[in-house]
Amino acid sequence: MELINSLAAVPDTELFTGGHGGCRGCGAALAARQAMKALGPRTIITIPASCMATIGGSGLTTAWEIPFYHSLFECAPAVASGIRAALDIQGIEDVNVVSWAGDAGTADIGFQSLTGAAERQENIIHVCYDNETYMNTGGQAGSATPYLAATPDTPAGKPTPRKDMLAIMAAHRPAYLATASVAYPLDLIQKFQRAREIEGFRYIHILAPCFKGWGIKEDQTVQLARIAVECGLWQLYEEVDGRRRVTVIPERRLPVREYLRLQGRFQTMDEATIAALQAAVDRRWQEVPS
Amino acid sequence: MRQLLNGNEAAAHAARLARVEVLASYPITPAAPAMEKITQFIAEGSLKARFIRVESDHSAMAAALGASLAGARPFLITNSQGLAYMSEVLYHTSGLRQPVVMAVVNRALAAPHSRFPEQGDAVAQEAAGWIQLFCENNQEVLDSLLQAFRLGEDEGVRLPVMVNYEGYIQSHTRETVDLPQQEEIDGFLPLMRRPALDVANPMAVNTVAGPELYMDFKYHQDAALQQAAAVLEEVSAAYARLTGRDWGGPVAGYRLEDAEVVLVAMGSLVSTARIAVDALREEGEKAGLLKIRLFRPFPAVAVRQGLPAARAIVALDKNIVYGVGGALGRELRASLYGHASVPVFSYILGLGGRDAGVADLAQIYRQVRENMVAGLTPAAYQWYGL
Repeated sequence: MELINSLAAVPDTELFTGGHGGCRGCGAALAARQAMKALGPRTIITIPASCMATIGGSGLTTAWEIPFYHSLFECAPAVASGIRAALDIQGIEDVNVVSWAGDAGTADIGFQSLTGAAERQENIIHVCYDNETYMNTGGQAGSATPYLAATPDTPAGKPTPRKDMLAIMAAHRPAYLATASVAYPLDLIQKFQRAREIEGFRYIHILAPCFKGWGIKEDQTVQLARIAVECGLWQLYEEVDGRRRVTVIPERRLPVREYLRLQGRFQTMDEATIAALQAAVDRRWQEVPS
Repeated sequence: MRQLLNGNEAAAHAARLARVEVLASYPITPAAPAMEKITQFIAEGSLKARFIRVESDHSAMAAALGASLAGARPFLITNSQGLAYMSEVLYHTSGLRQPVVMAVVNRALAAPHSRFPEQGDAVAQEAAGWIQLFCENNQEVLDSLLQAFRLGEDEGVRLPVMVNYEGYIQSHTRETVDLPQQEEIDGFLPLMRRPALDVANPMAVNTVAGPELYMDFKYHQDAALQQAAAVLEEVSAAYARLTGRDWGGPVAGYRLEDAEVVLVAMGSLVSTARIAVDALREEGEKAGLLKIRLFRPFPAVAVRQGLPAARAIVALDKNIVYGVGGALGRELRASLYGHASVPVFSYILGLGGRDAGVADLAQIYRQVRENMVAGLTPAAYQWYGL
């Protein structure tokens, strides 16, 4: 397999095309577009209730150039397991089967079927596109919502920290696990390239900001996704057989304060809390060798 | 080949003979042995299928649906809480017109907790758009399951099918079952792949349907379901030609010719009612039986045609639709309204495994006969055996 090493080498073909129903500056749509560059046309995707389930197809039109099934909220990995079994029995081996869910369809309402599929080591790729809130219903808080983020149902800030989905998924010992960011398209595309070459359960977690939920401008999606990496709150790495490799070492390091203060949702966070968060990030930065 | 099989074993043999390709099931009492038996067929090589060891009934239905969408012939088994948990996926499966076949080993729904037979679990899913068949014995479990694949996969139908038999009374009771030859069933059930998810022909499935589209989808879905009654007649006739066993179409009558009081039932109560009718006939009573084989779509026309001489109808319901009564009682009244003025006496009995035997049905018959002679108007419904 030849990894795509420059933006110029990214295939022109769009499999998640223009004309979708996403907002301008939609991080989720960016993630799908980038991932499809690596997955290619021999891919079947199922997406449970989420923005992504609806923006790719409405009425008699669709932005997907691959088979796409908008599944129920709880069960995209189970549907994907069934698709894989059906392909296996028909002797069809060269098709990627992908369940692609938001943070709710991954970490909350969809978690039961996800942990089931991961434990069975289903030969599928599960993608979590994470905007850290329930954006399809207006941005309410979920388990992926960060500590003190203000949302419509946590107006004073979410009182509990974000669930560590990557630790939970790593505990399932998947064949492949990776984080990605829409601000680092080559890194993201390469991870999907590697994932599709591996057999077994693969989990890719993409930070995909939503400008509405985060209280930023619609042209700041990529900027915030990048700063999340540069401040150390979101690390880009992959794990094969449980061995971690950091894939992107940011050229500059920014304080978390800069990341938080650019967003509308962290306005209630006081300086002491920011300092504590900074200390935690610094500790982890030293623990995880880059 | 004749074998002594319980209902679960009969269901498993049906799955084997139908050459199901994907089994997605989560164990639940008393259905689990059927699932285990199929996994045994897979392990010993007599069935080539993939077993998806899902973590829940919801995922079982979702995985079976995914397999069907990708062109395979799936199968699954559940009941009661598992069926209720699947409910929203049942609607997806019928709405997407996927001919998934499922055995439902009817069991009472909690609360209070019960493991015992009753038909309330299937009745609760009556609006889910599935074809629902009920079986009176284990031979019919096998035969109806085999027919279910052909019925659901029929081009004019393309809908999922639930084949119901009761927990313990059928699932764990052995009866003689005649197993057809594999070659016979291969001819009866050719596999026609119709994948909706196909990389050679990409389509978007279940896109958002606005007010300008949704209702038309539902119209076509309902029309296909209505079509299932006529297709069942054809499928049953074809199966009878193949095996010599004719279960009839949506309904089947027993000693109806001059029957004045007709018992109407579905599931295991039918075989009990046959014996009761024979006993009553011995006593000179003009008793008859109408078996409801197809509960959804409800065969109103066949019911009216089956009850020409009846002066009173007895609806025997092993279910309770709270605040309304028994499902059969309600359907029978709706079917007859405007066509015949025959009274329907509606009984709720046998819930949660409470015994409903030959003597009970004979007693209900006598009660109804007295009421009929006295010209009494039936109660909305009444409970028997409290």
